[in-house]
Amino acid sequence: MASIASRTALAGPALPLKARIIPLAFQLQARSRNSNGAKRTLTFSAATPHDGVHPEHSSRPKKVLTKAQKQFLDSALRVNQAGELAATRIYTSQNPPIIKAHPHLRPLMKHMYDQEAGHFKTFNGLLAKHRIRPTAMYPVWYAASSLLGWSTGVMGREAAMACTEAVETEIGDHYNSQVRELLVWEKEAKDNGETLGPELEALLVDIRRIRDEELEHLDHAVEQDAKEANPYELLTGVIRAGCRGAIWVSERV
Amino acid sequence: MASPAVVRTILRTPAALRPLLLRAPRAAYHEQHHDQATPYGDAERTILSHALAYVPAHGFTQEAITFGAKDAGYLDVSRNLFPKGTFDLVMYHLVTQRQGLKDRIQFPDETMGVGKKVRSLVIERLRANADAGVVWRWQEALGVMSLAENIPASLRELGLLSDEMWFLAGDTSVDGSWYTKRASLSGIYAATEVFQTTDQSTEFKDTEQFLDRRLEELRVTGSAVGNTMQWMGFQGGALMNMLRSKGVRI
Ligand SMILES: [Fe+2]
Ligand SMILES: [Fe+2]
Repeated sequence: MASIASRTALAGPALPLKARIIPLAFQLQARSRNSNGAKRTLTFSAATPHDGVHPEHSSRPKKVLTKAQKQFLDSALRVNQAGELAATRIYTSQNPPIIKAHPHLRPLMKHMYDQEAGHFKTFNGLLAKHRIRPTAMYPVWYAASSLLGWSTGVMGREAAMACTEAVETEIGDHYNSQVRELLVWEKEAKDNGETLGPELEALLVDIRRIRDEELEHLDHAVEQDAKEANPYELLTGVIRAGCRGAIWVSERV
Repeated sequence: MASPAVVRTILRTPAALRPLLLRAPRAAYHEQHHDQATPYGDAERTILSHALAYVPAHGFTQEAITFGAKDAGYLDVSRNLFPKGTFDLVMYHLVTQRQGLKDRIQFPDETMGVGKKVRSLVIERLRANADAGVVWRWQEALGVMSLAENIPASLRELGLLSDEMWFLAGDTSVDGSWYTKRASLSGIYAATEVFQTTDQSTEFKDTEQFLDRRLEELRVTGSAVGNTMQWMGFQGGALMNMLRSKGVRI
């Protein structure tokens, strides 16, 4: 509930509708949210020394997660893993045709792939550690993302970049909503004289870093003429709708 | 009363379809050093643990619960506390044995494979039934579990046990094999447990052999679904590389 409220507060009136559906505008919006978040963290740690009763960070009790919060983490981490599986599959299938046609893109494609592989590893580790089941659609996402990567790769550089742009727009938004939710929990914990605990604090750091790397991919895609793809609107529209559908399904099964 | 036949029907379902019957264990996000909070209050726990002591003599019955309540100092409140009656007693045994499994077994040998560990875990869990003296009463328990209204909870508990075993065996894979692994082990465990109730051999040697045959079947044929997917992926990749080497731009 809190997340929905804060989400509308942040995303609602900030920009007119048209601007909001344009990825670049989204990107700026995401950045400003990010700096917002960083500021919050700063005030948080600055407040700690004045907190005379509990001078030590570690002496404050760890927030107890509610059932709903555990379920939020359960489904959020499952979706994240599925998304990163798809990202690694897209690049794996996209890279051969793209690098063959544009050898100078090899370092960039490798850099983005390596980051995706790192994200995938992070969420695989988190699922195993917290005993969260992967999505039942795993084989389906595996096949669908391979096909998406391959077909956009064959269509050429602009289409491949438009694919990245579309995917990262949805994924960046998805990670942002998780960061907002965790910040709400952090504030609740702070109000009760508690901390998030080392696991959730590390998760918040991880998700922010990954979110920033996804937005970096979005930048690269736009620099590499994603907007020149033809038909741009259709391609990005379909891919973004597909991403939202996949997220919706993976949250449930 | 329904017989273990219902449970057996589920076990006879082809391995590939069992994931559909066995709803995925829904244990949300475990915190590290997570406390396996029992779903039982103090009174329930005391009464049911006392009642289990009467199961070898009286079976999974309302009598055992009544005796347990008396031993625990509760007079005849048991019926209100346990709306599902004997099924509550069966579930208490299942839940506490699942949660106690990690304390019954250690794997000091680091080279031991996951498969061997799973085998040890199944045997240890079945030994717990023998230690609790419930093996000769287990067909009654299966009867209660296979009543229509109890089947979902029974299957869920079976899934949780299977998940616990893979976890204790140190399996950390979180890919598409996650479901087939849990479904296969659930099926094997349940079948072996049914076999155990009829085993007349010393130290349940026949049960161990039955288990080994089921595990061998799984090794040979069971993961057919996963293997097929892998094979298709491999063939697809090989085909693409072959075409690329011929100069086809894909
Ligand atoms: Fe990623
Ligand atoms: Fe990405």
